[in-house]
This record gives sequence, structure tokens and C-alpha cells, in this order.
Amino acid sequence: MSLDETMVRMGEMAVSREPGDTLVALGLGSCIGLALVDPRPGIAGLAHVVLPESAGRDERVGRFADHAVPALVEQLQRLGAVRPRLKAILVGGASMFALGGNALDVGPRNEAAVREQLTALRISVVATETGGSRGRTIRVDVQTGRVTAREAGGIEAELFAGAPVRLALGAAA
Amino acid sequence: MSSHFTEMQLDALRELANIGSGTASTSLSGMLGRSVDISVPAAAAVSFADAIELIGPPEEEVTGVAIGVVGEMDGIVLLLMRTEAAAVLCGMLGVDAESEMGQSAIGEIGNIVGTAYLNAFAQMTGLTLEPSPPQSATDMLGAIVSTVLAGVCGDDDLALILDSDLRVEGEDCNVSFLMVPTREGVEELLGRLGLGS
Repeated sequence: MSLDETMVRMGEMAVSREPGDTLVALGLGSCIGLALVDPRPGIAGLAHVVLPESAGRDERVGRFADHAVPALVEQLQRLGAVRPRLKAILVGGASMFALGGNALDVGPRNEAAVREQLTALRISVVATETGGSRGRTIRVDVQTGRVTAREAGGIEAELFAGAPVRLALGAAA
Repeated sequence: MSSHFTEMQLDALRELANIGSGTASTSLSGMLGRSVDISVPAAAAVSFADAIELIGPPEEEVTGVAIGVVGEMDGIVLLLMRTEAAAVLCGMLGVDAESEMGQSAIGEIGNIVGTAYLNAFAQMTGLTLEPSPPQSATDMLGAIVSTVLAGVCGDDDLALILDSDLRVEGEDCNVSFLMVPTREGVEELLGRLGLGS
């Protein structure tokens, strides 16, 4: 049950460590929804990446993979996340229109660019739902790091379980 | 509304969209044998994030037909209809919307109507415009529109959207018409209208 959903729209990013927060990117097509989670302290971030390369532009950091990934990591670190503990989950990067090889086929290039940035930062990708031709929605539960994805007309499925919420009893161990 | 365009420029673009969609409605009407109404078009220059919200709920399932435009103004014409509206159109043409025939009928409607729109646009502005074959998809509105915006507007976070609605009389059937030119395309277009910057 989410108390509060933060919509991460095209080219935007958001980070949180509020228990009960959910970060959401609705209707990803060729864009990539990149979730970075540090489940232990319950910190998570989501970027809605539109294009692979900024080619020198530095306006909106969420739009381009080469800006978005380092910027998201930095914002998470400021909230207290530890980089070696971060796990990446990728959703989106579809080829929405049947004919490939044109301007509308930026999905696979977006995924490659995001992965390249993650590799450079030594962050492992633990789950993906990318490629294909369907649009998707990604939801990230901040407290547990649980990530789900839903395709058009489909049901919400878990991509990454995250860490279970610790109960007061368990904390004694 | 954005400060990137003046109210006069947006008015002129709205008028163009109006004439384009008028021509498109005539061609749709001819195909269906029914009258087709048009709404007053909207012209807006907005960020990608705002564009989706302007057009509709991101998770709503819609059918989109994208027609690429190349020539003196590059861009994409995108027809959007709710899946129910696509089914109504297919029903009027006597094909099952779920079948392959249905998909191809929707693509063809998009092609004819989109080309009519583009022809009106080309005649009004004196621009040479060439449509590419239509590509269709049935999916979440956000997924379809964001892919078109990323492909057309690229690294500018500004989309000029000309939006008009066609409504088939007596049916719950609306088709939205979006014209999304590239940034260079917009400049060229405004130049032809004598409203260049």
C-alpha cells in the first residue's frame, strides 16, 4: 500500500528515503525507467531517461543517460545511500513502432547508454524488463526497494523483491 | 503556454491546424459515409513532461498511427484514438478490430486522413512535405507519445503540439490529431507564414 506516489515524468528524476513513498514512471516507451535502490536504509531513486547522449548540453539532467545516471547516484549519496550497495533495475527501452532503424527506434540505444554508465560506476544491474514492443510502467517502493513493472493491458509483476520491512522484533537479532 | 512563441504565432499555427483537420475530416467522412465534426484546435509549446499530460492519461490504452514527415519541414503526424474508437471505426468498415485486417484498416485510415492533413498543410504554407508509410501501435498513451517526442524533438525539451479532434457524428468515436514538427521544422513553418523570428 503506498501512501504517496511521486510521478517521475519524461526527463525528470526523483530520490526519496521516506517510508511509504513510491516512485512511479507511467507509460515508458523508448524511454528507460532506471531505478537505483539501497534497500538496507530504504533509499531509492528513479530517473526517466529520454535519450542516450547529451552531446555537450547540460540543461535538464534527467533527460540524457550520460547525465542522468551520475546525477541520480549523486543525489542518492546525498541522502545517505552507499554506492557499492546500490542495485539497478531497468524498465522500458521498447521499440514501440514495428519498423525499426529510424528515429523512433531509440529504445535499445537508451538501454545501452544507461548500462554503459552503470558499468563505469560499478553498479550492478539486478533485474530488467526492457526491449520488445510494449509500453511499461515502473513502480519503486522506497522503504523496501521492491520494484514492479506492468505492461499495457497486463498485471503488475515483481522485478526485484528488495528487502522485507524489518519488524521491531527482528531488529533485536 | 510557453514564452518561446508569441500569441500571434500560436494563432497562426492553430489556424493551420484547423484547416488541416478540416481537410482530414472531409476525407474521413468520405471513407465512412458519415459526417465528422472537428473541434477547435489547440497549439501549445510545452516541455516533454507537460506534453503527455496535455494529451491524456499516460496509462490509457490507445491506438496510435504515426506518419513521418520529411521535406522542408520534418516532423511526425500522430493520430490517437482510444481502443473503443478504433473498434467503432473498424466496425463501420466491416472488419474486426482485433484481427490483422483491423490493424491494417486502422493504419490505412491513419494514412489517408494523415496525408489529407499534410496536403492541406503543404498547400497553405508552400512547403514540400512527403509522408512516410504509417506505423501503428496499440499501447499506453504515454509510451506512444513519449517515443514520438523523443524521436522527433530529440535533444530540445520543447515540443510544439498542434492538437485537433475529429468526432464521428452519432458515435462515441474521437480521433486526436497531433502534428509535432522538429525545432527546425517549426522555424521553417513560421518563416513561410511571415512570422519567423
